[in-house]
Amino acid sequence: MSSPAATNVAGRLVAGLAGLVLFAFVLSLALGPAGFGFGPAGEAGSLIFWEIRLPRALLGMLVGATLGLSGSALQGYLRNPLAEPSLIGISGGAALGAVLTIHLGIAQTLALALPIGGLLGAAIAMLGVVALAGIRGGPITLILAGLAVSATATALISLALNLSQNPFASIEMVYWMMGSLADRSLTQVWLSGPLMLVGMGLLLLVGRALDALTLGEDAAVSLGIDARRTRLAIVAGTALSVGAATAVTGIIGFVGLLVPHALRPLIGHRPGLLLPASLFGGAILVLSADIALRLIQPWADVRIGVLTALFGAPFFIWLVLKTRSELAP
Amino acid sequence: MGLVVVGPNRARKRGGKTLQRWLTVGPRKGVRVSARLGLLLAVVLAAAAPARAEPPRRIVSLDLCTDQLLIELAPPERIAAVTHLAADASVSAIPQKAKGIPITHGAAEDVLGYDPDLILAGPFGVSSTVTLLRRLNRNVVIVPLAQDLDGVRASIRAVAIAIDEPTRGEAMLKAFDQRLTSLSRPHDGAAPTAIVYQVGGIVSASGSLADAALSASGFHNLARDYPLSRSGQVPLELLVASPPDLLVLAAARTAYRTTAADNLRHPALDNLRRTHASLELPWQLWLCGTPHIVDAIERLSTARERLRAAPR
Repeated sequence: MSSPAATNVAGRLVAGLAGLVLFAFVLSLALGPAGFGFGPAGEAGSLIFWEIRLPRALLGMLVGATLGLSGSALQGYLRNPLAEPSLIGISGGAALGAVLTIHLGIAQTLALALPIGGLLGAAIAMLGVVALAGIRGGPITLILAGLAVSATATALISLALNLSQNPFASIEMVYWMMGSLADRSLTQVWLSGPLMLVGMGLLLLVGRALDALTLGEDAAVSLGIDARRTRLAIVAGTALSVGAATAVTGIIGFVGLLVPHALRPLIGHRPGLLLPASLFGGAILVLSADIALRLIQPWADVRIGVLTALFGAPFFIWLVLKTRSELAP
Repeated sequence: MGLVVVGPNRARKRGGKTLQRWLTVGPRKGVRVSARLGLLLAVVLAAAAPARAEPPRRIVSLDLCTDQLLIELAPPERIAAVTHLAADASVSAIPQKAKGIPITHGAAEDVLGYDPDLILAGPFGVSSTVTLLRRLNRNVVIVPLAQDLDGVRASIRAVAIAIDEPTRGEAMLKAFDQRLTSLSRPHDGAAPTAIVYQVGGIVSASGSLADAALSASGFHNLARDYPLSRSGQVPLELLVASPPDLLVLAAARTAYRTTAADNLRHPALDNLRRTHASLELPWQLWLCGTPHIVDAIERLSTARERLRAAPR
């Protein structure tokens, strides 16, 4: 698999994926309820293009890339096929952090508080899961730990919304539980974009370490991999990227699960190459899901998190069945 | 505070806040005891007298809309409890008038603590409580949701009859209709368009009170042109592409500490408000079928006059 020819093929695949991202991005800019094209003529048109469609497409691309990449990094690092930011509670933790900054009023006085709250929540959730399951916990322990963290986050989000006596608490619950890209603004892109980029940068750096880890821990250390630094990069990178993404879009599930599994047969078990491929794959998945929503039923108000869950959940079932021999006692 | 005097047992049973309120604002002990004796006497007399329909004296309301009608129609001493929403200035049209009235959280046990002889409820959200209370032979009146101005009249009438205050009800109806007719009539020609744009991009379409208020003030509700019934969500993009003559917002954009309201802080919406007419119309006025909907209609009519005087 690691012959130069295979690497070449995989490299071309990654380049092809990048091209598809660009295509989906442009298509996303051209689509909307106001009609196909880059906004109608006149001032309203440029407003629609720059203030409504551009932030939506940018966030779709960045959030998708974040989710795909972090899913791939978590699967590689935890060497667990079921690892994924929303399944193991990291997205839930991020949503809780964001909800707290909003309802304690910190987000109103300090704009950056929102994504920072998100990333702190994500980091705490991530550390919680790792502490509960242990670094080399089996798939079941990891899922259970994730379930515990995720349930805690959901409970605390509900509590925060209940206590705030927010008349829109139910609408906002939906907002956090089923992510959406609708009517986001460039403000939110500026808030979360840089943090997502830094987080993704950190995650891409661990590619070599993940490659080495496939040979086993000892071999990795002998190859000069610093286990502590790798761990720090994974935790910080996931927290930064998933935390910032969730803070502005809510939880968009299953992307991090689907993408690496879909690409692994094409790339092979080489986390180092799978990371950039998943980054582009995630962006393609979220952008095209968002495009599909606008094409199928612009009025039905189906949320993107619902769509990814509709595809992701059956896939998850299939994955559980596939790994059943491993999961069985 | 007479209602507290009537229910000293409840005050003790409920403890906590009610007891505290009782201790701080309640009358002296002697008065309380004599009131209890008076109540006992009344009960004995009622039992002895031939059955006669007494007007309800311990009324509990379980819905923001019935809360407001009850407070404005019934003498305070006959109101046992209303929801916490009645005193909440962010949703209630009459938070001041609701101050000091005991609060029920709507659970059957809590409601029974007030030993109500009439329970007012809305059609949504409390159906299991209502079923339970009826099983326990409590008198529950469900006031239907007002969807237009006739619905407002029907709600006023329903509450007035249920609480046995027909005269007050008729007076309220008369004042309501007088205010409506005194407003300036819509002019001939094409009606200007308007839309009520809310948190999460929700708009009020036909079959809603906000729509009725728009019609009554001579506007064409733009939401009627969208494939929505009663309410639904409209993409901001569509609003920018074909804006209404008047953009109606349910509150100031800073009023919500919630992410669901991010659409109200969107730069594209700010721009729309700079280039087009807009109006902040507190939803407290049109959330419920109360006479306060006339305030909303009044503000909308003024806005329509202004549009006509200076068309954009």
